[in-house]
Amino acid sequence: MKKGEIAAIIDLNEDGALGSLTAARPIGTLPFAGRYRLIDFPLSAVARANVYSVGLFMPRSSRSVQDHVRSGEAWNLDLIQGGAFLFPYVATRDYANAELRTRYYDNYSQFLRRSGAPYTVVMGARNVANIDLAAVLAYHKLGSSSITALYKNVTPNRVRADDPLLTLSELSTASAVLNASQQSLSGHEEKLPRFMEVYLLDTVYLLDLLDQASAAGEFARLPELLRDAVLEQNANAFEYTGYLALINAVDRYYQANMRMLQERNFQSLLYSSIPILTKSKNEVPTFFAHESKVSGSLLGTGGFIEGSVARSVISRNVTVHRGAVVEDSVVMQGSKISNGSLVRHAILDKGVVIGPNLVIEGTAEAPLVLSKNQTVFKPLDQEANTHA
Amino acid sequence: MTGGTGGGSVASEKRGLYGNRNVGDDLGGRSGTRLGKLTKSTAKPSVPFGGRYRIIDFTLSNLSNSGVDTVGVITQYQPLELNRHVQNGASWGLNERGAGVTILQPYASSEGEKFFEGTAHAIYQNIAYIDSYAPEYLLILSGDHIYKMDYEQMLAQHKAKKAALTVGVMPVSMDEATRFGIMNTDDTERIIEFEEKPAKPKSNLASMGIYIFNWDTLRRYLTESYATGSGLEDFGKDVIPAYLAHNEPTYAYAFHGYWKDVGTIHSLWEANMEFLSPHNSLNIADRSWRIYSQADANPPLFVTTSATLDRAMVVDGAFIAGTIIHSIISRNVKVGEGAVIKDTMVMPDAVIGKNVHIDHAIIGENAVVGDGGEVIGTENEIAVVGYGEVVGRREKE
Repeated sequence: MKKGEIAAIIDLNEDGALGSLTAARPIGTLPFAGRYRLIDFPLSAVARANVYSVGLFMPRSSRSVQDHVRSGEAWNLDLIQGGAFLFPYVATRDYANAELRTRYYDNYSQFLRRSGAPYTVVMGARNVANIDLAAVLAYHKLGSSSITALYKNVTPNRVRADDPLLTLSELSTASAVLNASQQSLSGHEEKLPRFMEVYLLDTVYLLDLLDQASAAGEFARLPELLRDAVLEQNANAFEYTGYLALINAVDRYYQANMRMLQERNFQSLLYSSIPILTKSKNEVPTFFAHESKVSGSLLGTGGFIEGSVARSVISRNVTVHRGAVVEDSVVMQGSKISNGSLVRHAILDKGVVIGPNLVIEGTAEAPLVLSKNQTVFKPLDQEANTHA
Repeated sequence: MTGGTGGGSVASEKRGLYGNRNVGDDLGGRSGTRLGKLTKSTAKPSVPFGGRYRIIDFTLSNLSNSGVDTVGVITQYQPLELNRHVQNGASWGLNERGAGVTILQPYASSEGEKFFEGTAHAIYQNIAYIDSYAPEYLLILSGDHIYKMDYEQMLAQHKAKKAALTVGVMPVSMDEATRFGIMNTDDTERIIEFEEKPAKPKSNLASMGIYIFNWDTLRRYLTESYATGSGLEDFGKDVIPAYLAHNEPTYAYAFHGYWKDVGTIHSLWEANMEFLSPHNSLNIADRSWRIYSQADANPPLFVTTSATLDRAMVVDGAFIAGTIIHSIISRNVKVGEGAVIKDTMVMPDAVIGKNVHIDHAIIGENAVVGDGGEVIGTENEIAVVGYGEVVGRREKE
């Protein structure tokens, strides 16, 4: 695929309620699978597709995004032509002001015009997938519409009321994007087309949409513009068949991590033809002591494991001391679990320290979340945490 | 070199240049043969170490941590993998503008071919490169030692003593002293005599092959010696004796800490086993003196329900279904169910099949040990599977 044929818009303003996990970071920089941030998945897809210009549209809290992306080198985006362009957050209160409203659309338009790319992919980070954009582009070129929407067929029990679905016609085109609750479903469907919140468009068409929106009296954000566009002119519907997880709630985040412990999912997401790239951190190898017991788990580097770890996702630089037990949990970087403590069905954010001989326990349906840098040295008042 | 590029830089008043010699064994007919199969197709400094490093990472990281920002890597023997690993030095923070890493390879010119006949000869052949930075000091190092050292402290002593040459030395036991080049010093650390592998050592200060020279002086010695047809080829054999004979102020700088020459299969294996110990004085996890390596983006380590890890060091990208006892498993290594690996160093991208038994071994990069295969060595005779070598049964997929 030719270099620079696609420009990418990665919009990190995404909805989701993950309590303390997203208090100071957007969904896009949530750690995942012991090694990644969610934004690594769209960035790896665009790196693989030889994208020159990537526009990152910042969420309200952008520090973690800038710290992770830096020059974009890890995704081959430190280029002479193009590269990673960071655009500041536009606050909702500014939409009322016509001049500031124009600026919102202008950010996108300027970026797209300068990229010179005939096609544009628009994606977020909360849909974790391994997308081959070259295949999507080939499909888009064959389609009759100037907009292509991606979906995956999923079983209805995995669809929640506010999950977006495509309304598909027989000709593999989509006539609308609607949340599941807005659809008239019979309840007998075997599969539902979960919209992945990824579009591929002709850039000139997207520029038209932005110009029209800028001239309109009412404000609509980019995702709304694109939904309206599907409604107006139908979209080519591209079916994705790989691993997909929508991260917009704590239990889904937890389950998506746990699903990575199944070899089939792990291989499908991380060992496909598209390598998932991330910022590398020169950590030392992880050491497993004589007393350690590790089973069915993922681990990052820099760890020191003396205790037991089962069915868990452990990020880099984590210490599990002697006699400590970690089961069915997600432990983020730099956390420490002291002697004799039990951590089960829990999510430990970065830098959590658990003192000795404590029990930290949630349930599979409602994992207990400990917030960033929280230190626990006496039994938890669990009520304070479970609502997260 | 330093040229005052920020904190911790060495020799801030004048520039100093730091060459990195790794010609070592690759010259003088020894061609890295002591590492056998492992250096058949790659230079010693690019041999993997400790799960996620290559040997040269220790030297390059020491340079970066010491505030050195200009490094020439002299290479001659099988340089492909080394070049690919070092690239522009960015992985070690050595890619600053106007400085950085330069790979110095032998070349042909109108004066003939410039192959390197010895360590000092390699410097002579690269005088133009060194002159282009006009350094005051030149630091010469080996790329095949495992250690953490602050060269800035050595330079501070070099300046304080107003030395023409400072030699890094390591106190060893008197027994071991018979295997090294030994520096005999007076009570001001000035070297008065140099003995190569003395039968009856008078001191226990072994040369580490680390030198700081005043560039002007060394340049004069080299150019004059080659102009008169009696070229100084080797630092140990020729340059140090010449300096001592002409009474140049030559001092020893004693280094205390972990230092290991990994020039043989056994010492490479032993250094890896020492690296495994959480109490190793190298203290690899010390974040104030980190060892950097080329950045890879591998998936996390996957440990299945059938795995056992006992005193194991494992790196990202590895997939472990077997039993690992007192061993190092490098990135992207696959270990099948029922396999038992003991007292072994497995290099990157190796594939270990099911029910394989490996004991006291080094498994080379990309090697394959087929299902049910056995690789058994002993403490005195470490078994080696070479790069890309395939041993044992291999079932069809």
